[in-house]
Amino acid sequence: MDNFRKIDIDQFDEDVLLETELYEPYPLDPAQALDDAKQKAAAVRSSLSKGDIPGALGTILEGVPYGPNVEDAKTLTLQTLVTILNSTKSSDVSNIVKALSQDQQDTLMKYIYKGMGMPGWGDVSGSVLLGWHEKLTEAAGIGCIVRTLTDRRTV
Amino acid sequence: MSAPEIHSLSATPITSHSFNGDRSQVAVSLNSNDVTIYSRQGKDWNVTETLSEHDKLITSIDWAPNSNRIVTASQDRNAYVWQETPDPQTGKLVWKPTLVLLRINRAATFVRWSPNEDKFAVATGARAIAVCSYDSENNWWVSRHLKKPIRSTVLSLDWHPNNVLLAAGSADMKARVFSAYIKDVDSRPPPSVWGERLPFNTVCGEYGSPSGGWVHAVGFSPSGDVLAFASHDSTISIVYPSGPVIYTIKLNSLPYVTLSWTSEDSLIAAGHDCQPIVFSGSAGGWHLVGTLDDTSAAKQSGGTRGFGVAGSQVGRLNSAAFHTFRQADSRGTSSPTSAAGSGSTDTELLTVHQNTITSIRPFSGTADRVAQVSTTGVDGRLVIWDVNNVTELTGKMGALRLH
Repeated sequence: MDNFRKIDIDQFDEDVLLETELYEPYPLDPAQALDDAKQKAAAVRSSLSKGDIPGALGTILEGVPYGPNVEDAKTLTLQTLVTILNSTKSSDVSNIVKALSQDQQDTLMKYIYKGMGMPGWGDVSGSVLLGWHEKLTEAAGIGCIVRTLTDRRTV
Repeated sequence: MSAPEIHSLSATPITSHSFNGDRSQVAVSLNSNDVTIYSRQGKDWNVTETLSEHDKLITSIDWAPNSNRIVTASQDRNAYVWQETPDPQTGKLVWKPTLVLLRINRAATFVRWSPNEDKFAVATGARAIAVCSYDSENNWWVSRHLKKPIRSTVLSLDWHPNNVLLAAGSADMKARVFSAYIKDVDSRPPPSVWGERLPFNTVCGEYGSPSGGWVHAVGFSPSGDVLAFASHDSTISIVYPSGPVIYTIKLNSLPYVTLSWTSEDSLIAAGHDCQPIVFSGSAGGWHLVGTLDDTSAAKQSGGTRGFGVAGSQVGRLNSAAFHTFRQADSRGTSSPTSAAGSGSTDTELLTVHQNTITSIRPFSGTADRVAQVSTTGVDGRLVIWDVNNVTELTGKMGALRLH
């Protein structure tokens, strides 16, 4: 009985629906994705040194890596994003999230949830993430959270 | 501008509802194996018939307005067509089921009569849609399957007014338009924006929303030239196939699971948000207009209105359950009476429906100018709404959530 409900019954199904059929594949290969993430990290650092938080967020939230095989790029992107979140004054958060486009808000929410799933990893700070989560939910509503949960393009 | 008509039919969820042609009777599935038919007697709805034949939950009901036949789909993998026939002994009219040969190995999830009422389509969990037509030789309904390229359970269907095209929303995140042309039943359809030659199982279009999600509801506009679908990522998408141009509206609220067009330029969607929301637009763009459920007005249930609204912020968890636990946590009390609101009624929502709306259908008016729509939901209520009675969503629409 140890295997109860752990048997992969899908292996006997010739016509099994694969996870990858449910979304468009990420266009870049792993090496390109990592290069892209590195370039963005550099761009974000220069924006942050000028104190340009919206610019930094705008850079990192465009064309984020998703799907399998690009773990390195995903990790680097999360790291870069956490740096931005941590270096933002909490009084500015509200206006910043309101200025983001809906797509950017959805993407940011995905990273907040990813970060909350990895407490103590790198510079991830629960209280900072919760602060952003509160302001983002105020701006984008529960729909934004629903999209994070629904979207198969996991970051 | 009249207030919605509210009928509490049962304490159990209503899985599906469908009115007869003159709206004097309504067939509902009360989350059970039976169809219950209510008849309007004055202001009340009373149970007049119960149709028992299915041996698992009935998932969908459709009552053909002109031929007065009811088709039911169930998790027992069967569908029946019910017809009123005189009883041979007494001469009294009774509902008799006719067998439908569905040939499926999973539940039937959704059923709709075609506009001409000469065939119907059954959505199933067997990655197929059974398009059924009547075989008079054997006195049963035979089916042909639409299979490709469906990859998962089909959740919703809608017929094009030309009686041939069929839209389907599916759990593989796609809304599709198929041809369900059956040689013996249909005459060749005139060419439309969806295509010219349309043999059975032609896929005329396949659409998804950017963030995916099960497609819970699909609907053709009254002309049939535009398709709308609602998916589980809290979006409504409107498709103009000639481009194709797809407008996706991302909502602040919980996902919608049902929708109904009310004219060529407006539709109403409802779902986990517990209120019908009106959208309007044209080929140039679409936007949210407002709600049919004026949550700012006092309801007869009284008293608790405004609870949680004044001090609460959008997105702040401020539900009754939250208060209960916070009180228990901070003060060691187990009753929520000292929190905002008045105890026993704390869990009442501001909306008319007290739980998810599972079905919305046109009630009166014509197809291209619907005057009223009816909704049923998990709260067991049947509500009839005036579609012109639109209220703007107050403040940020996220605020209407649970309070």
